[in-house]
Amino acid sequence: MYNISGQLRLKTKSTNPMNDFEVVAPPDDAVSALKFSPAAVQQNYLIAGSWDSSVRCWEVEQTGKTLPRAIKTVGGCPVLDACWSDDGTKVFIAAENQVKIWDLLSDQTMQVAAHQAPVKTCHWIKGSKYACLMTGSWDKTIKFWDTRSSNPMLSLNLPERCYCADVDYPIAVVGTAGKNVVVYSLENTPTEFKRQEGLLKYQHRAIAVCRDKKQNPTGYAVGSIEGRVVLKYLNPLNPKDRLTFKCHRSAVSAASQDVYAINDMAFHPIHGTLVTVGSDGTFCFWDADACKRLKCSEKMNQSITKCSLNANGHIFAYALGYDWSKGYEYFSPTKKPQIFLRRCYEELNPRTA
Amino acid sequence: MGRKKKKASKPWCWYCNREFDDEKILVQHQKAKHFKCHICHKKLYTGPGLSIHCMQVHKETVDKVPNSLPNRSNIEIEIFGMDGIPAEDLREHERQKNGGKSDSDDEEPAAKKKVEIPLTAPPPMMMPPNMMPPHMMGQYAQYGMMPHMAPMPPFLGPGGIPMMPTHMMPPRPLFPAAMAAATTSAAAAAHAVAAVAQQKPTFPAYSNATISAPPTTNNPNITAPTTSSASASGEAPKSQVVTSTSGVTSKIMHPPEDLSLEELKARRLPLKINSNNLAASSSNRSNNSTPNTSAVTAYSTGLTSATSTSSITTNAANAAATAAAISKAQEVATMAAVVQAQAQAQAQAHAQAQVQAQVQAQVQAQVAQAQAHAVAVQQQQQHQQQQQQQQQKQFEDLNRVVMLQRIQQAQAAAAAVSRPGATAAAAAVGMVKHLSQNTASM
Repeated sequence: MYNISGQLRLKTKSTNPMNDFEVVAPPDDAVSALKFSPAAVQQNYLIAGSWDSSVRCWEVEQTGKTLPRAIKTVGGCPVLDACWSDDGTKVFIAAENQVKIWDLLSDQTMQVAAHQAPVKTCHWIKGSKYACLMTGSWDKTIKFWDTRSSNPMLSLNLPERCYCADVDYPIAVVGTAGKNVVVYSLENTPTEFKRQEGLLKYQHRAIAVCRDKKQNPTGYAVGSIEGRVVLKYLNPLNPKDRLTFKCHRSAVSAASQDVYAINDMAFHPIHGTLVTVGSDGTFCFWDADACKRLKCSEKMNQSITKCSLNANGHIFAYALGYDWSKGYEYFSPTKKPQIFLRRCYEELNPRTA
Repeated sequence: MGRKKKKASKPWCWYCNREFDDEKILVQHQKAKHFKCHICHKKLYTGPGLSIHCMQVHKETVDKVPNSLPNRSNIEIEIFGMDGIPAEDLREHERQKNGGKSDSDDEEPAAKKKVEIPLTAPPPMMMPPNMMPPHMMGQYAQYGMMPHMAPMPPFLGPGGIPMMPTHMMPPRPLFPAAMAAATTSAAAAAHAVAAVAQQKPTFPAYSNATISAPPTTNNPNITAPTTSSASASGEAPKSQVVTSTSGVTSKIMHPPEDLSLEELKARRLPLKINSNNLAASSSNRSNNSTPNTSAVTAYSTGLTSATSTSSITTNAANAAATAAAISKAQEVATMAAVVQAQAQAQAQAHAQAQVQAQVQAQVQAQVAQAQAHAVAVQQQQQHQQQQQQQQQKQFEDLNRVVMLQRIQQAQAAAAAVSRPGATAAAAAVGMVKHLSQNTASM
């Protein structure tokens, strides 16, 4: 039952067991990128890039109502990532081997980056001395672009294809195939700081930079396809520099369990708590420092492919869709992707949750 | 210091023998794994506490501690973290740890290796029960578990084998009599099985028998082999199966290829990176045609040799392309003409005519089949097999024909003069006409 004017509560519990606000007019294929607008923008805008080659933008009101504001299709190539510029006026769209900049005000797009293989991640870096776009690709390189020039400012090699990345100035982390993680320091100019191998025994799929109590980036969390998250601190105070926990698993019987991939993770900007979303169709809230699980959602009928927290940490967005975890055979065109919004400030507060 | 100090070892769980860095974590583990109510998932603090809770709240009895070793499943004994562990078990644990360190040759740390041997739940791997005794004896002598053999029956007696039935049932025990006799040793033997699997096997022959699916080669992530095969045999399986150290089988819901899900999904799209598949398969086809033509020429030249038929078989078996079928058809057609000419030129008596008819029919059938092949490109292999069989039959017949003809040549040499050439020619023409009509109607 779709109510055009917005505030949407589905009558059937099957697709929305958590009773969250559904975003209107979602994409037609799985969401590959989900991002809220940065703090510089007054209202909350949400963009979603999708395998249907589109990037959509909604305005999210305080009541939970979503208004479709814009849509941009990028000619037949699936969008693998999208991100905002720091002032919230432009959106970068990574589609196939290129990244385009989409000026929301003028609705124009222009190519700003290119790789030899599809671009998997794009992040805007706003540093103290410079600002640039960081793109990671399956061509095993990570490039930094001043959007005014067609040549990259800097191109660094990765040990393997880029699978996930996150930026929180002055740290950038990239997870690659072959279970590598590369950490970059972004001060002055991006330089490789550290390579870490074998944090997890299985393919890395999601990565996020975490902050300490003073809001300084202090480490990162990596999620794998084996339902496991490891939190690694860069400058650990005690010799124990990492925390590992298992998640997104469901016990089938006393001695067997189904293990699902972690598709995305995000740290709460205020509380520092962690959200993971998995292939099993659940999202979980964690207080990583205390090794505690704060909340686990009901299992939904589709995997959750992406998630995002807005700038002030009040809204949690998650996208349902088939993530290909069981191959092509399990793709069902009748199961449409959906995006939900949830009020999460209290649930992610480690003291009250 | 010469004297060995009894140092406080890392905290370990009495119920399942796992080791932990911290007692706090140990307590959390016990609460989550051993003192958790299976009905309402409430976490209690002790074993007796759990038993009382289930009785009072759910009116159900709990006779054994969940996820515990068979000899450690007594719910009456009150254990909290490291408190309450009987002194004998403490000593036993220390002994195992120290004894194991000397002959550890595995990647896993020695302590962990020791922990893995006695399992809470046996892995799904099954070993025929009659193999257990020799293992068990060897393993237990080695690890000093003998003293525990005696106390086991009383624990296992009332509840039977706690975990075993759930796992042994699917692969049904082959030797129920031996099973009954070896109830006490069964659980222990499962430990031995796991021990064998986890370490370098001391009885490689037996361990190979246990592990029905060898570790897959395409996916280095699998830590231990399991019976549910994750090897890429034919169809690519949709998930990986892993057996963890605690004996729990985990199935990872992810395709086993070492690619990200996005790469797998992108394969289905016409992106620039994936365009190499077609070239390879077409080159395969062209290669396959040449062996077949050579095989077919062998047909026409080596009519009598049995080896040629076998070589034909092998060559045809190798090829799978329609081009081959077409070229074969052409060759067969020319052969048929040749054969017919031979047959017609020497057709004399009824017996001869019958043989010729047979040959012609077979040849016609073969030509028809070959044409059908040329049309039906998809169903190559079955037709080819049939073709081979028929060709073989034909050759046997041809051989017979040739033999007969030779015999008759000798016979007809005497009677050759009386035959009018015209009738033979007319017969030949009639046959040709007949054949051409048949061919045209195909």
